[in-house]
Amino acid sequence: MIDTENLSRKFGNLTAVDNVTLHVDEGEVFGFLGPNGAGKTTTVRMLCCLISKTSGKAQIGDFTVDTEADCLKIRKLIGILPENVGLYDSLSAYRNLDFYGKLYEVPDDRRKENIERLLKLLGIWERREDLVGTFSKGTKQKIAIARALIHDPQVLFLDEPTANLDPEAAKTVRDFVLELKKEKRTIFLNTHNLDEAERLCDRIGILKTRLIAVDSPKNLERSLYSRKTILHLETVTEAVSTVVKNLGFVKSMRVSENKLILDMDNPERDNPELVRLVVSAGGNIQYVTELKSTLEDVYLKLIREAAPK
Amino acid sequence: MRLWKSWIVTAKDLAVFKKNRYVLYSLIALPVIMGVVLPVIFVFALQSEAAQATHAQLLAGAGQLGDMISTYMILIPAVLPSIIASYSFVGEKIERSLEPLLATPTTDGELLLGKSLAAIIPCMGVTYLAAAISLTIFDVWSFSALGLFLLPNVYWILAMGVISPLACIMSVEANVIVSSRMSDIRAAQQVGSLIVLPLIILVISTATGAAGSNVLLALGVSAALAIADVALFYLAKATFQREEILTKWK
Repeated sequence: MIDTENLSRKFGNLTAVDNVTLHVDEGEVFGFLGPNGAGKTTTVRMLCCLISKTSGKAQIGDFTVDTEADCLKIRKLIGILPENVGLYDSLSAYRNLDFYGKLYEVPDDRRKENIERLLKLLGIWERREDLVGTFSKGTKQKIAIARALIHDPQVLFLDEPTANLDPEAAKTVRDFVLELKKEKRTIFLNTHNLDEAERLCDRIGILKTRLIAVDSPKNLERSLYSRKTILHLETVTEAVSTVVKNLGFVKSMRVSENKLILDMDNPERDNPELVRLVVSAGGNIQYVTELKSTLEDVYLKLIREAAPK
Repeated sequence: MRLWKSWIVTAKDLAVFKKNRYVLYSLIALPVIMGVVLPVIFVFALQSEAAQATHAQLLAGAGQLGDMISTYMILIPAVLPSIIASYSFVGEKIERSLEPLLATPTTDGELLLGKSLAAIIPCMGVTYLAAAISLTIFDVWSFSALGLFLLPNVYWILAMGVISPLACIMSVEANVIVSSRMSDIRAAQQVGSLIVLPLIILVISTATGAAGSNVLLALGVSAALAIADVALFYLAKATFQREEILTKWK
């Protein structure tokens, strides 16, 4: 649904986006992670035909972002939630959505239905005639999401959808994104919130001017950090250490107080054998746990590695 | 260019203006001053000298006054767009509503036309209202004092039919350009209102009779405004492009 090939954008001498090649499937939720100034918003703006590319190719559905005619079709196909909601404070929620519905060429009947459906879904139908300026940040964000969906777009670009929202409003927005995911819409999610990306996204791209990595959150975690098993013992004896150290499936071992931290490729297969041998060596096991690397670990590692030396 | 698309933008902007007291007060205050207060003052001033003047002198003075009143009417469409257009363009920047607007399937030209019409329509509307009122005030006096209606004359028709719309368009175009470099509504209004300065020449000339024939002067000013409008149109069009707006508008 979204394809780019060596997509680049320069502003004068500054390269904002450098040779980004990616593919997002129809119905996929794709998270775009990166620090401030990494080029996330610039990439989205190029994909939404808001700014031009310096080089490379980009395509949404069957349309390329090169010509004005295709760009008009792309804009009909996509919905965008920019970082700033950009609603008209002096107009009502209904009037805001109606205005955008008209610009997106939604027929009268369908426009009315969509506004009602979306505002009811987001719990603001009763306040539809209130001026947007009187709403809280969270409610404005909901209206902006409704605006992005007013024309039933196939592709949705969400730029920091939960930034600056209180936990309850953020949860409402996240739940709504999950609902959209069930509807098989393609969602391109720009976010700083790693937990949110892990929960919502099928795959994640980490960007720092160039695309550093793309994969599912789980695969990213596994590819960068081997899995670790932690054995909590009553005491770590010499006999236990020797037995464990000599096991072929233990790649490395570290002792920390009464814990053995073991680097292993396949803990599901090897942990039963490990436990058996430690017990037979006289070890009193209190717990066996897994030390998981998080998406945050992966993100920070990749971003640090990508930093100029 | 799909005019109905532009009209959606115009209708939205007009709805926003209706809720903005500052815009509403401006739309009322300037026409009241130019269309009611000034003509009444001028007419009273002329009437106070009517006793000492001959009919011919009074007729000449009234003719000059009629042209002056017509010229003042031109200042309304030249000044008002700097107030309204600044809200239309800088206001969107402040509300950060340009990005979602630019993401809609609407061309740059349709958006620019829609927003320009939103400034032009109310400005020209109140200009013609003020012109009708001032014409009535002046003609009521001229008929009672001189026994004839002096307005509309050729200069008035040129001023209202040609110069006013051209001045209004010029002012809107100038404000599009000014707005691209301003992030403060008041500053945009101040810079944008400088567009009125060339028209001061017209005010002085009609007040002093320096140009000899006001009709010829009006024709010359119309031609100059038409050229300026075309030049500013291309500049405004180049300024009002998605890429420019998102990357260069401050």
